[in-house]
Amino acid sequence: MDFRPLVLALGVTAACGGREAAPVARYAGRVFAGGVAPPAGVPQADKNPFRGDRQSAVEGERTFGVMNCDGCHGGGAVGWVGPSLRDGRWRYGGSDGEIFQSISYGQPHGMPAYGGLLPPTAIWKLVTYIQSLDPPANVPTESWR
Amino acid sequence: MTRVMVLTLLAVLPAGGAAQHGDWSMPGKDYAATRYSDLSEITDANAGRLRPVWTFSTGVLGGHEGQPLVVDNTMYVVTPYPNVLYAFDLTREGYPLKWKYRPAVDPNALGIACCDAINRGAFYADGKIVYNLLDGHTVAIAAATGKELWKTRIADLSQGETTPVAPLVVKHRVIVGASGGEFGIHGWLKGLDLETGRIVWTAYNIGPDSEVLAKQGMFKPFYDRGAELALTSWPAEVWKNGGAPVWGWMSYDPDLDLIYYGTGNPAPYNPDQRAGDNKWTASVLARRPEDGTLVWAYQFTPHDSWDYDAASEMILADLAVNGRPRKVLVHFDKNGFAYTMDRATGEVLVARPFVDVNWAKRVDIATGRPVVDSTKLTGASRGNVKDVCPSLEGGKSPASPAAYSPRTGLFYLATNNMCMDYQATQATRIAGTPFIGANTPYHAGRGGQLGAFIAWDAGAGQKVWQTTERYPVWSGAVVTAGGVVFYGTLDGWFKAADARTGKVLWRFKVGSGVVGNPITYTGSDGKQYVAVYAGIGGDWFLLAGDVRSDDPADVRPPADFISDIGRHTSQGGIVWIFAL
Repeated sequence: MDFRPLVLALGVTAACGGREAAPVARYAGRVFAGGVAPPAGVPQADKNPFRGDRQSAVEGERTFGVMNCDGCHGGGAVGWVGPSLRDGRWRYGGSDGEIFQSISYGQPHGMPAYGGLLPPTAIWKLVTYIQSLDPPANVPTESWR
Repeated sequence: MTRVMVLTLLAVLPAGGAAQHGDWSMPGKDYAATRYSDLSEITDANAGRLRPVWTFSTGVLGGHEGQPLVVDNTMYVVTPYPNVLYAFDLTREGYPLKWKYRPAVDPNALGIACCDAINRGAFYADGKIVYNLLDGHTVAIAAATGKELWKTRIADLSQGETTPVAPLVVKHRVIVGASGGEFGIHGWLKGLDLETGRIVWTAYNIGPDSEVLAKQGMFKPFYDRGAELALTSWPAEVWKNGGAPVWGWMSYDPDLDLIYYGTGNPAPYNPDQRAGDNKWTASVLARRPEDGTLVWAYQFTPHDSWDYDAASEMILADLAVNGRPRKVLVHFDKNGFAYTMDRATGEVLVARPFVDVNWAKRVDIATGRPVVDSTKLTGASRGNVKDVCPSLEGGKSPASPAAYSPRTGLFYLATNNMCMDYQATQATRIAGTPFIGANTPYHAGRGGQLGAFIAWDAGAGQKVWQTTERYPVWSGAVVTAGGVVFYGTLDGWFKAADARTGKVLWRFKVGSGVVGNPITYTGSDGKQYVAVYAGIGGDWFLLAGDVRSDDPADVRPPADFISDIGRHTSQGGIVWIFAL
């Protein structure tokens, strides 16, 4: 099935309809974790309600393991077959809402959509965990002796 | 003897093929997967004068595993995702393209492939180039025109299946398998019709006899007795996500009419979740190509607790073992043992470690079972098990196939000298996401060097020589009648060595680490050429730390066990051709 007309149509609508709705349409071709599609049309907050909350970060870290995020992004999210999530750099945007959208609706190049399995609260705690991670001290702009 | 063998091999090339002597038409050079060429222009005496004659950037940065094919003065190159197929005209100056084929490949495959978006190459048969796309399709392309003849969906991304394996074509059957040992797939092998691409049979590697195609009276494993072995060696239902992927190399004995292939690890890595032997994971299976019937099987690592896939090639040779000539299959397993087996029956004749091994004391060839050191058994209930050798990268990686020279009687292979700690954890199967359950940091083995290139006597089970390498060695090998063996290194050197002594005769820095397999062929001018890919990747895309430069949104610290590899290589994708 070709989803392109649908995606284009919804994309235009979203562009006219304001930021909250924008990402909702763009997941039709993603892999759905567990085979469960994320709910469409659910308005999402822009701000992480748990930002900086240590307990939420701990719960998010647990979810990071249970949902197999570490299988692609590596233990501690240092990068594996999927990109590092703790280097302060983002392919698809690093704002609270953008990280939420990437988890909930997935991304091209293989990031599965988890919004069908995880409620928004759990996703925000994952965001909180990722935001709690310090960038690695030893980055590859170093020199060798 | 040698000449007879070569003639035999030529005689069993697929019907209708135009492959000539001096061509390289299938991944392992011949059905026996020897990667031996009887070309002899390049010798131990003149290899020092090799020079590059041509290079081509593939435009792709993923790990360049696999090997080119050369048929009828045309070189065929399959790239990693997005699996472009190039056809170079070797008769014209500069080797311009005849055509290129750019398939539409689902980018979601990038998140389902465990270990970089690699491809292990194509197979030429009956005027067709047959290969797999990463997203679970097999395609057949007209070798003359680049026209797509058929495209068949063989695998299901949503269940964690991807397809980097190189097909094997036997007569009118295209044999393919799927990766996904890290995604809890239900591993299988399929036989397609070469003319149409239609799936003729599917043989699962685990599950009930009816799905494994283990038929009464036909299936005769050497060591095991009874029915439903691939079901009763698992907890109920667990086998359905038990792994046993097919991602290595396949071989074929035309006299016995058997295809041989190895299966990957059981899923998940945490063995507490799958009591039993977990047949037929980490095993070699022998099947009939026509209908997939299982004839025998042998499990190298029962209840694998270390991710020891048995995906490495099964090289077929005629050797003297204990003074008797035997038709054998030789296999260098990730678990560190080299097995010499009777390829008609599956009996283990010799099983000796080719690298440092501590998870097992030895293999008992009376029972076929390894004598396991119980302190190295892993599982979530056992905590962090320290210093298991070899690491799960393998004493040898299945990605880097060995070569066998009937002239020297030796096998040549890239090895790793790494050990690991293994902390298993409970894993949850969620379709389309990883199903692993272990954290396994590596460290260098005894001596501190991370790899070596070795020569092995498979009749005696002994190492004959070795050249240590600073980094793990991850390239395949090719050995020639000129007495030269070629391999590449992770820091980007391509080397020619004396097949009898291991002495390095020549080397050249090829621009990126080598994880592909060299080939050799006769050019349109009658000269001998050697070709290889440069392009670090595969597991090293995951493991090496910072060897990429194309994604500003992904920077990583160096891996502690190989902290300076980034000093010597970055990603790339280059085809190299050398000659005298």
